[in-house]
Amino acid sequence: MPKQPLLKLENISKFYGSITALSGVTTEVAESEVTCVLGDNGAGKSTLIKILAGVHQQTEGTIHFDGSEVMFDSPRDALGHGIATVYQDLAMVPMMSVWRNFFLGSEPTKSFGPLKWIDTKEAKQICKDEMAKMGIDIRDTEQPVGTLSGGERQSVAIARAGYFGAKLLILDEPTSALGVKQSGVVLRRIVEAREQGLAVIFITHNPSHAFPVGNRFLILNRGHSMGSFAKDEIDVNDLTRLMSGGAELEALHHELRNMDTKIDG
Amino acid sequence: MNDQESSTTATETPSGDTATDAVVAAAAAGSDERLAYRSVFQRLFVRPEVGGLIGAAGIWVFFWAVSETFGTVGQTFTWLDTAATLGIMAVAVSMLMIGGEFDLSSGAMTGAMGMSIIFLVKETSELGGLGFPLLIAIPLSLFVALGIGWLNGFMVERTGQPSFIITLATFFALIGLKLGLSKRFVGQIQIGRTDEASDFDFFQPIFAAEWARNGHVFELRDLFYISLFAAGVVLTLLSVCELWFKHADKKNPAGLTEFIGGLGLGIAAGIGLHITDGVGANTAIAAVMAVAVFLGIHGWVSWRYEPVTDRGSIVLDERMRRQLGTGLGLVMLAAVVALVIDSSSSHEFFFPFTTQGIRVILFVLLAAAGMALLAMASQAALSASPATKGAVTSVLALAVGIIAALTFLDSEASKFRASMFSVLLFAAIVVLVWGFVASRFVERRIKSDSADRLGGRMMVLGIVTIFIGLAFRMMFITEAELLAEVPPAKTSIRLFWFVLFTVTMMWVLARTRFGSWTIAVGGNKEAARQVGVPVARTKTQLFMLVSASAWFVGLLVAFRINSIQSNAGDGQEFFYIIAAVVGGTLLTGGYGTTFGGAIGACIMSMPLAGISAARWNTDWRFLIIGMFLGFAVVSNKYIRNQAEAIRR
Repeated sequence: MPKQPLLKLENISKFYGSITALSGVTTEVAESEVTCVLGDNGAGKSTLIKILAGVHQQTEGTIHFDGSEVMFDSPRDALGHGIATVYQDLAMVPMMSVWRNFFLGSEPTKSFGPLKWIDTKEAKQICKDEMAKMGIDIRDTEQPVGTLSGGERQSVAIARAGYFGAKLLILDEPTSALGVKQSGVVLRRIVEAREQGLAVIFITHNPSHAFPVGNRFLILNRGHSMGSFAKDEIDVNDLTRLMSGGAELEALHHELRNMDTKIDG
Repeated sequence: MNDQESSTTATETPSGDTATDAVVAAAAAGSDERLAYRSVFQRLFVRPEVGGLIGAAGIWVFFWAVSETFGTVGQTFTWLDTAATLGIMAVAVSMLMIGGEFDLSSGAMTGAMGMSIIFLVKETSELGGLGFPLLIAIPLSLFVALGIGWLNGFMVERTGQPSFIITLATFFALIGLKLGLSKRFVGQIQIGRTDEASDFDFFQPIFAAEWARNGHVFELRDLFYISLFAAGVVLTLLSVCELWFKHADKKNPAGLTEFIGGLGLGIAAGIGLHITDGVGANTAIAAVMAVAVFLGIHGWVSWRYEPVTDRGSIVLDERMRRQLGTGLGLVMLAAVVALVIDSSSSHEFFFPFTTQGIRVILFVLLAAAGMALLAMASQAALSASPATKGAVTSVLALAVGIIAALTFLDSEASKFRASMFSVLLFAAIVVLVWGFVASRFVERRIKSDSADRLGGRMMVLGIVTIFIGLAFRMMFITEAELLAEVPPAKTSIRLFWFVLFTVTMMWVLARTRFGSWTIAVGGNKEAARQVGVPVARTKTQLFMLVSASAWFVGLLVAFRINSIQSNAGDGQEFFYIIAAVVGGTLLTGGYGTTFGGAIGACIMSMPLAGISAARWNTDWRFLIIGMFLGFAVVSNKYIRNQAEAIRR
């Protein structure tokens, strides 16, 4: 691909004491592209995200972001560089209102002398407008986030990331807890974010969600990279096979077929 | 209210045609069909502090009714004064609890901080004295307080242990320090005196000013108070109308005339109520006022809001007829009991086996059963025609009126009877107004932003006006009130600090980043951290806020009584936490208001003053407080559950 990658990871490894959580991961993301990170439970997806989001620091390897080598000390630091992460648990406070959640940590303020307060009117308006851009007409920005549906919550999180000038959007299993229809909504949001020029890292363990939206696929298994592929190099079946470590799934397949025959017989 | 709820659910459960209708109607009105309309009370009840507010009003009415002096200005200041020191701490502790932490050292800290001031200003003691002026001692002790708060926060954050345990350690450390140091310094467990400081006279008014004013008999202030109070009440009532009903296209001028008449009557009654002390006159005026309220609401509503298309005719089904008949019969029976059985035999009101006792029990049982049946009929009537609803509630109101008159019949405890009478009569009028309005006017089913905004602003304005009026009334106390047998009424500056602190913290919580972050760290700490909220810093600041408040309360005490016991404040931390919880703050954090904490403090302090005002045996006070608290918490929880159920 001709594009200059926005984020480039080289040989990222992370050890917790003697435990290897991640070893030798290499991949890249360009603007207006979606890189999918696929892997089964315990494959190291979460560790990778936490490194990118600044929650943890890598033990080995280098991260190049926007042309320079970086190391994120804290979530705030990563945010400051323009990396926004939408976590699996959504990083939202369920009992707080939608607009407060939208602006949490970066509230717009007005001030008079030493006094500083949140510009609630503007905050609510921006929140409503940004949600409308995502195609969601939020009923009342004062309602607690806990009362929104899963898809709407994902949308708040994605809209928030986009509004705060993120260049790279990391989505941690956004579809895992959603129904079929809501997953579709979220996948559409991912495509929309891509169209707006954002680079997206989409973490999932569902290849059929990843394949339609992804431009590049990084497959992890037990902390090891099974390779990073462009879309034209791979198909859905290969993804599934690589994710599960290939042979294991075939064995399972075999076993299940045996069971079927037994029941039939 | 039940009528309201049932009607709302009945018409708005989206099923089949009804749902389609709702969607069409909403689209036509340009609003959102997904928003089910919530009535005024439903919207009010989702506020966390409303449960506490209702509890406070209930307790106030209770003590006002059972004692001769509880409602007086003097008594009001007695409990407000207690509430002030408790409340400042309760507000700070509410903030901390919203932020998801506890501080068990906060009570002991108030005493410790008061003591630290006295240590610093003392000129002589067994170890010699520092003899600082207050100008230095006050900031120095604030510095110490902030240090302890910081330590609490730091330890909680660093160890990751529950703040319950960490601050328990601080609590014991402070108790030990207080006792040990005071024994070491002055050889006794009480340490004085604040006024040894050279600049005591300068600081005394700031922390402990008291006013007992003034000598005037009339009373520009009364006029001011009454007009503000009346205006506030009117605004609040109108806001309910705005929030509740749909606007009419054409306004009905007759309604406006009626409204003005009602308003005039209300103001006249207010003035009358203010200048009389007689129980009978009070009662009569209460009745007039209730009529005025009825006229006011009815007039305003018929001016601004459209009547329902067709009122229909009165239709009673078999069940309703039975309920009405039995209910009325029971009420009549209650009247017979009250009138026939000899009432002059005994004063042992509550003893069940005297003639009087049996009479009371019979009367209460019959009246309650009768009214319950009538209320059921009135609820059922709503699904019949509006005219039926009007007729049935009129009957209910009549029954309440009869019961009210009966309680007033023979009066030994004149104040008690009179107030019961007023309350019941007022209830009768409310029932009548509600029935009338429900039968004649369409309810607003669809959210209307402009009406909501107008209604919301009117309500805030009304409540603020009422409070300004009350404050004005309290600031200026007449000679007669000072000479009365009740404890002399004094306004103390504590109240001012209490109100100022509460209002400031309300603003901080609702409008600043720190407030938002407080809610966030209490609601979901990890989420807050992930989006860049400095969690440790916010929590530490909250601990420091609590300890700074403890410092301030310590100062108030040290200046008021001029000395500090070494055990001052110990154990109070539970009162702060309870006040916060009663005020609607969640024990687990993330939800609550500081205003609720202030209300909670009032709920805690009212029974103390009320019990002595009612001349009850004060040995039982903690039992009574415990019962009140239990009731307040349970009802609070119930109201919140109801509200949440509606909200979803």
